[in-house]
Amino acid sequence: MGFDLAFALSSVPTILGAVGTTLCVALVSCIGAAAIGFFFEMVRRAGGIAGLTVGFVIDFIRSTPVLAWLYFLYFVLPFYGIRLGSMTVGVMGLSLYYSGYLAEVFKAGIDAIPKGQSEAARALSLSRRDAVIHVIAPQMLRNIAAPLGNYFVSILKATPYLAVLAVPEMLGRAFDIASETYRYTEPLVVAGLIFLALALVISHGVKRLERRLLAVGAR
Amino acid sequence: MSAQSDTIVDIQGLNKWFGALHVLKDVDLTVACGSRVVVCGPSGSGKSTLIRCINGLESYQQGALRLAGTTLGLNARETASARRQTGMVFQSFNLFPHLTVLSNCTLALRRVAGRSRGEAQDIAMAHLEKVRIPEKAMSYPGQLSGGQQQRVAIARALCLNPRIMLFDEPTSALDPEMIKEVLDVMVALARDGMTMVCVTHEMGFAREVADQVVFMDGGCILDRAPARDFFGSAGHPRSRLFLDTILKH
Ligand SMILES: Nc1ncnc2c1ncn2[C@@H]1O[C@H](COP(=O)(O)OP(=O)(O)OP(=O)(O)O)[C@@H](O)[C@H]1O
Ligand SMILES: [Mg+2]
Repeated sequence: MGFDLAFALSSVPTILGAVGTTLCVALVSCIGAAAIGFFFEMVRRAGGIAGLTVGFVIDFIRSTPVLAWLYFLYFVLPFYGIRLGSMTVGVMGLSLYYSGYLAEVFKAGIDAIPKGQSEAARALSLSRRDAVIHVIAPQMLRNIAAPLGNYFVSILKATPYLAVLAVPEMLGRAFDIASETYRYTEPLVVAGLIFLALALVISHGVKRLERRLLAVGAR
Repeated sequence: MSAQSDTIVDIQGLNKWFGALHVLKDVDLTVACGSRVVVCGPSGSGKSTLIRCINGLESYQQGALRLAGTTLGLNARETASARRQTGMVFQSFNLFPHLTVLSNCTLALRRVAGRSRGEAQDIAMAHLEKVRIPEKAMSYPGQLSGGQQQRVAIARALCLNPRIMLFDEPTSALDPEMIKEVLDVMVALARDGMTMVCVTHEMGFAREVADQVVFMDGGCILDRAPARDFFGSAGHPRSRLFLDTILKH
């Protein structure tokens, strides 16, 4: 059973039709994960009981499988009367799961900023909020552009997990074709190549962004 | 209890610990408006800690520190508003590397003083003129020499129009040829009547501008004297010894 190029090409439009869903899920999850992760890190940094609790939550998230989160949100929440669409659950699951990892990335990025920066901000009477927005966050972003980009690619590659919730993303679509035709190679290769292309585009974009961030006020 | 209106900093029996380490021991110090105090002493004697207590960057455990009539550390809001009367210059400049020189100076004007962009830029440029570096307004800190960066840091601290300027070894991180340009700016500031507390071992500067020289060792103020007397023959034997060592260099 060789590789049937014509069949592979004929599966492209169907699989490409799901690219929108995949990208959309990945993009919203990236934003969600970054927002929650940053919030987590800010709370953890502030210390106190809230900080300790969030620290524990971050560790907990990072030591559980992403599928467990998806199953939990999808099958357990309805028992408590919370009924969400599979797409919403998927995005929530990926956001929450990766927020734990991104919190760690943010932590490293902030730890790398010299202590004098936040002291200067305090000495200038900037509020904590202004110090974060205008002093800490921009320098943190510059420190973490590369790992942040890697996690964005990871999130993209994690979208096929949403197949278990019947979200019509790319790999699921490829698998549908495969099980209808009993030909697995072609649709899976096509899906793999599309993932590769997307990942390359994201990595390239991140590299360019990083270069621009580093160029500003090069130390 | 009320501080005289011509006293900006009034420190009584100040004690501070870092964990078990007793770093400030019964420190008393008053700074009159318009006066210049130079603090010197060996490494680890608590000079930075003292100066950082004055603008509330460090807390203290005993005694009282009044800044512009407010006792620091009682109330977060009052402490913050008293801090606005101060400007601080650090040994390592601490400019914001991702912002231009001008934005470094306008940030607090915009966010803290609520000035418009135009007003903030005018004020910032005026101070950059004062430290003689207006042509670098659009540069980033990484493109400047250490002396230039420290002058920008002074301009940035002046922008909020502080009543007192705090300097923590402003020239210690500089190459020798850049020390003078920073000291010149500081002398000019002193001439303008700015109240200053300055940790420094630049004794030439101390002699030129200081009203009072304070010598610290082991968390205590061992010696305090008008500059004239401090450099004269009088004074605590420990501060004499210290002076002899650093003046030899
Ligand atoms: N954040 C801190 N935590 C714990 N100990 C500290 C801290 N900051 C300073 N110390 C200690 O407090 C003592 C006084 O430090 P400080 O920085 O005030 O000395 P200094 O006189 O400024 O010395 P130098 O001339 O080296 O700057 C030192 O023993 C120092 O190790
Ligand atoms: Mg010091």
